[in-house]
Amino acid sequence: MLTFLRRRIVSSALPLLVVVLGVFALARLTGNPASLYLPLNATEQMRADFTEKNGLDNPIWVQMADYFAGVLRLDFGQSLRTGESAAAMALRAFPATLQLAGTTMLLAVVLAVIVGSWAALKPNGIADRISSFVSMAAASVPDFWLAIMGIWVFAITLGWLPTSGVGGLSSWVLPILTLLLRPFGVLVQIVRGAMVSSLSEPYIKLARSKGASEFRVVTRHALRNAAAPALTVAGDLAVGLINGAVVVESIFGWPGIGKLMIDSILQRDFAVLQAAVLLTAISIFILNILIDLGYAGLDARVRPAGKRSKASKAATAVLTEPKEGKRYVQTAP
Amino acid sequence: MSFSLSRSASRRASRGVVVGTAVAASAVLLLSSCSVANSEPTAGAGSSDTIRIVLSQEPPTLEACESNLTSTGVVMRSNVTEPLVERNPTTGDLDPLLATSWEQTSDTEWTFTLRDDVTFSDGTPFNAEAAAFTIDRAVNSDLACNVEGYVFGDDDLVVNAVDDTTLTVTTVSPDPILPLRLSFIEIVPTSTDATAKVREPIGTGPYVIAQWDTGTKLTLERNDDYWGAAPAYATAEYQWRSEGTVRAAMITSGEADIAMGLGPDDGVGDLGLDYPNNETVALRMTAEIAPLNDIRVREAVNYAIDKSGIIDSLYQGAHIAAAQLVPEGIVGHNADLQPWEFDIDKAKALVAEAKADGVPVDETITIVARNAQFPKVSEMSQVLQEQLTQAGLTVELKMVDTTQHLQYQLRPFVDNEGAIALLIQHGNQAGDAQFSADQYMTTTGAQSVYGTAEFDAMLEAASTKTGAERQAAYEDIFEYQNDEIVQFAFISHQTGTIGKAANVNYTPNSSSGDELRIAEITPAS
Repeated sequence: MLTFLRRRIVSSALPLLVVVLGVFALARLTGNPASLYLPLNATEQMRADFTEKNGLDNPIWVQMADYFAGVLRLDFGQSLRTGESAAAMALRAFPATLQLAGTTMLLAVVLAVIVGSWAALKPNGIADRISSFVSMAAASVPDFWLAIMGIWVFAITLGWLPTSGVGGLSSWVLPILTLLLRPFGVLVQIVRGAMVSSLSEPYIKLARSKGASEFRVVTRHALRNAAAPALTVAGDLAVGLINGAVVVESIFGWPGIGKLMIDSILQRDFAVLQAAVLLTAISIFILNILIDLGYAGLDARVRPAGKRSKASKAATAVLTEPKEGKRYVQTAP
Repeated sequence: MSFSLSRSASRRASRGVVVGTAVAASAVLLLSSCSVANSEPTAGAGSSDTIRIVLSQEPPTLEACESNLTSTGVVMRSNVTEPLVERNPTTGDLDPLLATSWEQTSDTEWTFTLRDDVTFSDGTPFNAEAAAFTIDRAVNSDLACNVEGYVFGDDDLVVNAVDDTTLTVTTVSPDPILPLRLSFIEIVPTSTDATAKVREPIGTGPYVIAQWDTGTKLTLERNDDYWGAAPAYATAEYQWRSEGTVRAAMITSGEADIAMGLGPDDGVGDLGLDYPNNETVALRMTAEIAPLNDIRVREAVNYAIDKSGIIDSLYQGAHIAAAQLVPEGIVGHNADLQPWEFDIDKAKALVAEAKADGVPVDETITIVARNAQFPKVSEMSQVLQEQLTQAGLTVELKMVDTTQHLQYQLRPFVDNEGAIALLIQHGNQAGDAQFSADQYMTTTGAQSVYGTAEFDAMLEAASTKTGAERQAAYEDIFEYQNDEIVQFAFISHQTGTIGKAANVNYTPNSSSGDELRIAEITPAS
């Protein structure tokens, strides 16, 4: 297990580096952000001072070297806009997105499992057709439109929910519902497909003939085998959510990392953008590890072959190798 | 038949229980107390004591010397901090605030007499030393304050606190509008850090910064030791939403009392108040690149634009057709100047005349406009392209984001894309035409692509005048621009929209977008 983790950490370091370097270089390709931060009638001298003060006049490899030297000291730079530490801003914004994304994904998975299994029990029945339609609609709806419609219907017209902002439970409803729909739609299809195929396996017939209840058949037998593909897809969808539910956060004023990223892109706030991307990339990498572990937990065939303990090795040796000096021979009594 | 679990089956079952518990536990943890990480709840019913305001973006900082930035100034100016003198947006005059009177004691020196009954919210007294310190910090230091670039340029000021209530300010060259420039400097105590910018400063104003939940909410509380009249509201809460429709929704659903920066399509309905916001929209033409280097072509552009048609169809008639770069209320505005009339035949004739003289009128002119700069900017750009094409010109449209737009707008300009008509939006918040003219009309102005030596001389002369002479000089300048220079095709003076809930009384003015004075908002009885 530890070997597996160590190997994954090492093999993820390179992509992480490439991501950060890529964002670093691409952001700076957009030019000098001085004119965004200085008043329009700032003089040439002021622009030159700003550029020099922020090291933007150095060649890009010098800027990169400075940045990485800072990273080694855990200094990820300062926001050009607010002057705060970029790392602090990213870390402050991240938990809000994590809460939103985590809750959304959990709900999406639970609901998709319920609806998908129910649809799979009678393929092409009414329940299946309805859930197919609903899930495909859900997977196709653009979240921007959905968010605005949600606000218009539930907040303005009906007055049941707040329009936006953070607060009690009611302010979670619209953001989560908006984010939930597409992953839910995709997952229902996956779960339904996987359940249909596992429900037609022979061991299901066996379980039913043994007298197991339908509920037990579905949950304990079929679902376990359908879980693996669903988990993989769920992981992909979760990555999309963690990547900053940008639209939802912008519309609902949710103080998360998606909004931070889009603001720092528009404002060319390089340090904050790099810190946000790095943080998101690390969390995606951790999520992928968790998915792999979960996958291995569900399906013994994909468990990583790691080092085995000495005792286990000795036991196997005793069981499989002939004792020294003796041969196992069937002797007649 | 009984069905007992085998050992491996029961292990699987217990693992299932463990997994299930883990899932449930994480769900509980995530939703713990249903609060969002790192933020306080924002939802709150209106109370007669609290005014709830929603902005379009969070202030990046509340540093006083960056108050000319709209997103900072809208919270700070005249709420938490105050300047020595304040411009009255309706009359255009300067009103006393922390200074009671001022006079020009020599060509380059102004003397201010200050109030003696003011303290900062931390108890330290306001005096000439604090004023001198603030001006020094904002203008002369290495902090690179935004206000320095906005109103002062490279020249430093020499400030001297003669005594507790007398301050002298000396400029490098004679400056008749120094008091107007100083109206942008918000006074802070001498205890303020002079080597670094401060996110939450202290001031003399009717409110103090109570709490700033970065990302979520900003709260101001009434300063009970304020030297002036106590404002009606004890608390002011600021939130921000980048979507105009959501800001409007907060007004209509009662979650906010004032919403800034709304557009005509945001759905605020009767709860919206229109007000002239000092923004002027125009096309700035590269008058040294063919075919725009012929004045007839530039005049044709002016004749081809149907200003009232644009205003009526896109803005429900709320804007005013423009004839110059600054609207009414700004010193120097020429009230007698008429906008170019819409005459497509005259435009065609001018283009044909230029063509006959060998001007390459078929060379492409690119209209460059900035996405989301103001409501309906893309629609307006498309209409402009269409109307200029009807005059016989070849016109393309390019929509760009803010950073790219600034590359066209500021020196060094983009000079390898042929003739460009840049759609600009200029807001003269200072109140004097010099701020616009120096930028946009001199030969070397930071945002000017064309000028003449003669025009430069006129501009230079006007900047040294005062009073009625000054007004007349700038009126001549705007007339001269339209007759002889034609660097611009002016389109409209815009209006802004503020959402105002029924339980609140407020009349917006041209400064409201930059300086929302909470003391001017009162509960509706």
